[in-house]
Amino acid sequence: MKKKKIIRTIICWLVLLPVMLTVLFPFVVTVLTALKPRNELTQIPPSFLPSEFQWGNFIEVWQNTNIASSLINSLFISTVATVIALVVAAPCAYAMTRFDFKGKTAYRFFLLVTQMLSPIVLVLGLFRLMVYMGVVDSLGFLSVIYAAFNIAFCVWMLQSYFETIPKDLEESAWIDGASRFRSLLTIFLPLALPAVVIVAMFTFVNSWNEFIIAFSTLRDSSSYTIQLGIIEMTGYYSVRWDYIMVSVIIATIPVAILFAWLQKHLVGGLTSGSVK
Amino acid sequence: MNKKSLKPLLYIAPSFLLAFIIISYPIIDLIRLSVNDVGTFGDLNGFIGLLNYQDVFEDELFFEVLLRTLFWTVSVVLGTVIISVPIALALNEDFYGKGIATTIIMLPWAISLAMTAVIWKWILNPEYGMLNSVLLSFGLIDENIGWLANASTAFPMQILIGILVSIPFTISILMGGLSSIPRDIYEAAFLDGASYFTRLRTLTLPLLKPFINIAIVLNVIYVFNSFPIIWILTEGGPSNSTDILPTYLYKMAFQYGEIGLAAAVSIIMLSLLLMFTFIYAYVAMKEKK
Repeated sequence: MKKKKIIRTIICWLVLLPVMLTVLFPFVVTVLTALKPRNELTQIPPSFLPSEFQWGNFIEVWQNTNIASSLINSLFISTVATVIALVVAAPCAYAMTRFDFKGKTAYRFFLLVTQMLSPIVLVLGLFRLMVYMGVVDSLGFLSVIYAAFNIAFCVWMLQSYFETIPKDLEESAWIDGASRFRSLLTIFLPLALPAVVIVAMFTFVNSWNEFIIAFSTLRDSSSYTIQLGIIEMTGYYSVRWDYIMVSVIIATIPVAILFAWLQKHLVGGLTSGSVK
Repeated sequence: MNKKSLKPLLYIAPSFLLAFIIISYPIIDLIRLSVNDVGTFGDLNGFIGLLNYQDVFEDELFFEVLLRTLFWTVSVVLGTVIISVPIALALNEDFYGKGIATTIIMLPWAISLAMTAVIWKWILNPEYGMLNSVLLSFGLIDENIGWLANASTAFPMQILIGILVSIPFTISILMGGLSSIPRDIYEAAFLDGASYFTRLRTLTLPLLKPFINIAIVLNVIYVFNSFPIIWILTEGGPSNSTDILPTYLYKMAFQYGEIGLAAAVSIIMLSLLLMFTFIYAYVAMKEKK
């Protein structure tokens, strides 16, 4: 049996290895570039490994670039978007699980359409909406847009979790005189905490990583998100790739950690909730 | 009775209002723009019917870009599925190091498309990039290649990167599918003495097919709309030779000031997307039954 597992291990690694190497290559390059002394970046032929690890690059980036302010912008946008998405999605998911009403199927399809509409096809209209409302460069309004694009997924995820919560639990609360809305707040949401956390993290990561809407609508560099801040650095006359890679690491690590934990929960919601 | 039917609407109203305003205002506005003569600053100079659409369809560049978008979508999605199925099958086996292998394969998902594109832009740098230097040191090329200077090398690279970033999502759908296949089916087949490949052909792949279908449709939607990889690597250039519909649309709307034409392109893309969504709903619903 054990011998069989060893053979299986060899075969599996042989199948996986080419893809794993291709996946790891950019990561290795990113880390090594971030830690290279400046003159080794433009040396010919390029060296793969730095002669010494330049940890000071991280401090320099913090001091010499706008990364701190764009990190704060991203943190703000992603947090606000997450809160808004949860506040509107939770009651909706509750109604979709516990009430029967006319137009439920139609609403389900409406949500599916909002999920499938990619921001790129709407971005011109969104920009004009922002101009019309006088909120160009408003981080708050950008959060509202991000929240709107995440509602469908939040509702599906919460809904599939709410369905597992037994009805008697809230019925006993009604007998005690609690209203439906109260039971949603005091019984449902605490019980559904795992789903709430997943949904919140998903919305946060999505907003953190969003590119096209921010890129087309943010005009003033002081309102740039972290993604835009880094893209801006690639357009300078003399591009500091070491700074860029340091910034990529700073922008990516927190989200990557969240995501590593999150990804195994994602697809259940994507494939099951969407069609029920 | 009346009260009962109003209550759910109260719960739904906030989500509906938010989604409806953010999504329908742009759609209505885009439809309105697409049938008007629009100035560079978005000023409407009168109804012109379908002239904007006619202009788009008479533009040779539009067809070139449309065809390239189809090629891009089909290549990335097919490549992704072809690579993902064996990986998902391998990751579904019980072997040493399974945890770390899964984590590494899923890694690109955690990184935004924009950041992935930035990293690859550096890797593909002609003088200092690591790809040329690795290929040179293995003797695979004799001189540095300017990967992004020509569509003939830039676009295949972009397709490869597109495949790479689509693999994790696809695999997790396929793994979800594999885990839903009951174990005892295999045990029965095992007792019958069926080999791995017989089991694969007669059991696993047919049972996995619905999930492959869902992965294909969802990937088509994502890849068709993908903007950052192409934009950050080449901005659709040189001279529009790597443009796909999203980058072409962005240029018309935000660089050339062709607001009316951009609106028409948006509506055309929107119609295609709605079509994909109906296909998805159909495929997914069929699999449910």
